[in-house]
Amino acid sequence: MKYNYYPGCASEGTALANYHAFLAVADKLGIELNEIEDWNCCGATVTSSVVGEFPAQVLAARNLALAEKQLPDHDIVTTCSSCYAILGLANKKFTEEEFNQNANEALKEDELQYSGSLNVRFLLDILANDVGPEKIKATVQKPLEGLKVAGYVGCQSVKALRNDYDDPEYPQAMDNVIRALGGEPVEFENSNKCCTGALALSAPDITLSAVHPIIDGAAKANADIIVTPCPLCQMNLDAYQAKANKKYQTNNTLPVLFITQLMALAFGLDKKTAGLDYCIVSPYNKLSNWA
Amino acid sequence: MSGADVVRKYDPEFTKKVYEMDNGKWVKMCMQCGICPTTCTLKGIMDHSPREIIQLIRAGDKEQVLKSNTPWMCTSCYTCSCRCPRGVPMMDVMHDLRHLAEEEGNITNQTHMAKVYYNDVAKRGRIWEGGLTMKYGLKLGIGNAFKMALDMQDVGMAMFKHKRLAVFPPKGVKNPAKLRAVLDKAAALAKEEG
Repeated sequence: MKYNYYPGCASEGTALANYHAFLAVADKLGIELNEIEDWNCCGATVTSSVVGEFPAQVLAARNLALAEKQLPDHDIVTTCSSCYAILGLANKKFTEEEFNQNANEALKEDELQYSGSLNVRFLLDILANDVGPEKIKATVQKPLEGLKVAGYVGCQSVKALRNDYDDPEYPQAMDNVIRALGGEPVEFENSNKCCTGALALSAPDITLSAVHPIIDGAAKANADIIVTPCPLCQMNLDAYQAKANKKYQTNNTLPVLFITQLMALAFGLDKKTAGLDYCIVSPYNKLSNWA
Repeated sequence: MSGADVVRKYDPEFTKKVYEMDNGKWVKMCMQCGICPTTCTLKGIMDHSPREIIQLIRAGDKEQVLKSNTPWMCTSCYTCSCRCPRGVPMMDVMHDLRHLAEEEGNITNQTHMAKVYYNDVAKRGRIWEGGLTMKYGLKLGIGNAFKMALDMQDVGMAMFKHKRLAVFPPKGVKNPAKLRAVLDKAAALAKEEG
């Protein structure tokens, strides 16, 4: 298993934990990652509102072109929901002849071209379909026995490119990973509601009103921890949890981990490799058996 | 002012302009079934539901559409487009409307945020999340920036303490000038295509 790896900007800052944990987990699973050299920001969902749709898609496509040049015939994997949606949607456009032609004309300015030959895939897709639950199970050294895990998948990774690898309304891929690790996935209220993503900075009160019912839903289902694959979901549920408690007079202390961090712990890796110190709500109490 | 005194202007040119935008064809596709507001994350905060926005575009009510907070409150969660019987990618329509609102000078906090974000992409090729917060604060003006810093100091400090806000920018792309050339070329091609 060998992939072009697109880390995305969050992996260099707010989601450093995900970056390091994924590299360690991939190594354990025998996944070879070739980080796309000189990758650029995918543009997220904000760029098209500033420059329009086409330039935003070309910005994303520069990464696809780099990947096709550096490691042809290997899929691109990304660990960020937003990057996945943006790169995946841009990739699909290359089947349209006019788009393909125009995008390549723009990419020529950086001596690049892209034929559309690669697939863009999300971490959970790789885990579900390429690695598979058996391999994950076989890699586990400290099964997560007795750990109740609220899996919060978030929106963009399942809803942007539909009919892809998971059900957009009732996603299962991450719960299957939790099961393979020996943990117990719990169903909880508001698990499919949006955390409001990037509004956290420009409209924090709105984000608080959205993260509160999600965290509270997980707490009411007696979850020990929340797990997510998405950098923005992780940040909003973790960094805004204390503020949401204050505003809504709750007392939730639910650690929020990336799924990669939880895998690292179950694979017997130490707490430093799992990046537990990056968590704002302390995970050490709930995860004392594994960290 | 009573309702009867309000003169609403309808501008068919505005409708045409939206139809010609990247996702204008989808505005025509909407059948007003009302699924989108029932699924929308922030419908309670929007001053017009996504369905209403579509109808206002068709009516040519430029003012209501462009001053609405709806496009800016869309979180791009893609839930409505999942459930839309006609597959309308509503968030893409909303992105078009943001672009149009900005051209018309309707500026919101989210406009500032988008601008700051894009400037970082164009300058460095990658986002420096720590710097983004500061630059966004400066855009708001000193008074608002101070208020934001005060409101958000707990979140900011927690992020900083857990080493999640890079104090210095991580490296960008090797040749940002070439990246800008790609973006400029793409913008020029988009303009040509109309």
